[in-house]
Amino acid sequence: MTPLWMRRRRLGLALITSVVLVFLYLPIAAVLINAFNKDSTLATWGGVTGKWFGQAVSDPEIRHSFVQSTKIALATTAISVAIAICAALYWRSAGRWGRTLLDSTTFMRIALPEVVTALALFVMFRRLNITLGIWTVIAGHVMFNSAYATIVVQARVAALDRTLEDAAADLGAPPRRVFRRVVLPLLSPAVIVAALLTFTFSFDDVVTSLFLAGSGTVTLPMEIFGLVRFRVTPEVNAIGSGVMLVTLTGFTLAAVALFASGGLRRTIGRARA
Amino acid sequence: MSTAGARAQMPTLLRQRAWRSLRLQALAVPAYFWTVLFFLVPLGILAVYSFGQIDILTYKVHFGWTVQHYVDLGQKLYRDSIFRSLELSFGATLACLVVGLPVAYFISLQRRLLEYVLLIAVIVPFWTSFIVRTYAWIDVLSPGSPLARLATTVGLSRTGLLYNNVAVAIGIVANYLPLMVLPLYIGFKRIDPALREAARDLGAPGRRAFRRVVLPLATPGIVAGCLLVAVPATGEYVIPSILGGGKTEMFGNIVADQFLTVGDYPFGSALAVSVMALLTVFILLIRAASSSFGAEGTS
Repeated sequence: MTPLWMRRRRLGLALITSVVLVFLYLPIAAVLINAFNKDSTLATWGGVTGKWFGQAVSDPEIRHSFVQSTKIALATTAISVAIAICAALYWRSAGRWGRTLLDSTTFMRIALPEVVTALALFVMFRRLNITLGIWTVIAGHVMFNSAYATIVVQARVAALDRTLEDAAADLGAPPRRVFRRVVLPLLSPAVIVAALLTFTFSFDDVVTSLFLAGSGTVTLPMEIFGLVRFRVTPEVNAIGSGVMLVTLTGFTLAAVALFASGGLRRTIGRARA
Repeated sequence: MSTAGARAQMPTLLRQRAWRSLRLQALAVPAYFWTVLFFLVPLGILAVYSFGQIDILTYKVHFGWTVQHYVDLGQKLYRDSIFRSLELSFGATLACLVVGLPVAYFISLQRRLLEYVLLIAVIVPFWTSFIVRTYAWIDVLSPGSPLARLATTVGLSRTGLLYNNVAVAIGIVANYLPLMVLPLYIGFKRIDPALREAARDLGAPGRRAFRRVVLPLATPGIVAGCLLVAVPATGEYVIPSILGGGKTEMFGNIVADQFLTVGDYPFGSALAVSVMALLTVFILLIRAASSSFGAEGTS
């Protein structure tokens, strides 16, 4: 029988947890509800409507920024994942110093505040008279996203069993084929997770895009950032709902891929041990 | 096989090995190329700029090697605003810890299914767009909203809930709470339940057992959580821009304003270099403190 004070304490903890969960979901719910709210002042509920979504989708400016965001995220993903695979394979065969150097440069790229790294890039591009645009944004996005991707792929590489490659080599497969038929398939879950994370981070990024886009390029988060400084309209809430759908899908797929490859279970198992 | 043949083969083998090691080194090139070109060089330029001078008329930077900008940081006007912004990020981190502790502890006490469901429930908001989650508080806190109307009727706020320090702090806590709860949860989970029972059997009441046994053992988790929240919160730009309404400045905004609005690159660089130095010292201090607890970090 659990003592009374303990049950009471658990009840208290349960209460706090529920309040915190409400606190976490309240803003998300507000955006979703108001995206369907017929009342344009957002003060009261005026019934369900889909017209804000229609308005957002038919707005050429919104469509353009959606295309820009997608282009940037796709390019960032491709470059970041390529860098990550190379770096992780290097890391596996590198000596102690090589590993330490790679690890610290990876960590540094994420640890510094984004404002500082983005501004540093901004200053460099200005100094070199490079016109800001889609490519400068991609350079900035790859800078920190390749670090996240490297960490994900590296974790998988560290767990890779060399005997499979040795077996393939013993059976006469040339190195290139060993890589393509053995190593790459074994790495693919991590590569998928890294790609999904990178795409989502890039698609959702505000700070780096804001400082490196110049005047001609606008991403969807930049568009939202600009719009909400005046007023939150139902149309903004419709765009916001769309962006949330993209990011939620990206991260959920990444989590599912991670779980399917056993990574999450291992993490939780390690936490339990 | 003759010895001559073996000797002829040696250089080929050596060459092969050298070739393979070269190919291995080449794998590191893309990562280092990007790090040097788009990370180290820009930061180096920033560091050099921070010792440079700016022509007030032409806004051209030239290099006179002066420490004036670092001296300027000590001026009352800047000093006060920097301290205020640091206060805000530390306050928000502390609020995150206070809110996150009971939640993480509660989750760690649950059985499998509920444990997973609650963990996922805490993480999922983190998976929705950062910018949307931030501006969403305008929806929630704006004068016409049900919450704001409630606050006015209760007499809680007369100036409104939005565009002040509290709104920025709410935004930071709501955005970064999962980063606090997860390491805390792992910290709690690593504690042997037998220790808690032992404390109880030895007569320590629940609250004291928690304070004297559970909390000290969860220190690595607490340290990791605070680091994960405090570092991005200090450099936060978007949340104060949106929820502070231009009145609340955090370190990130003060730095960005120097570049984007004022145009004083050298002074802005000095600010950016100082925030980097500050965070590095902060991280090293916390690492040293947590290793003296005899526990390795969980991050």
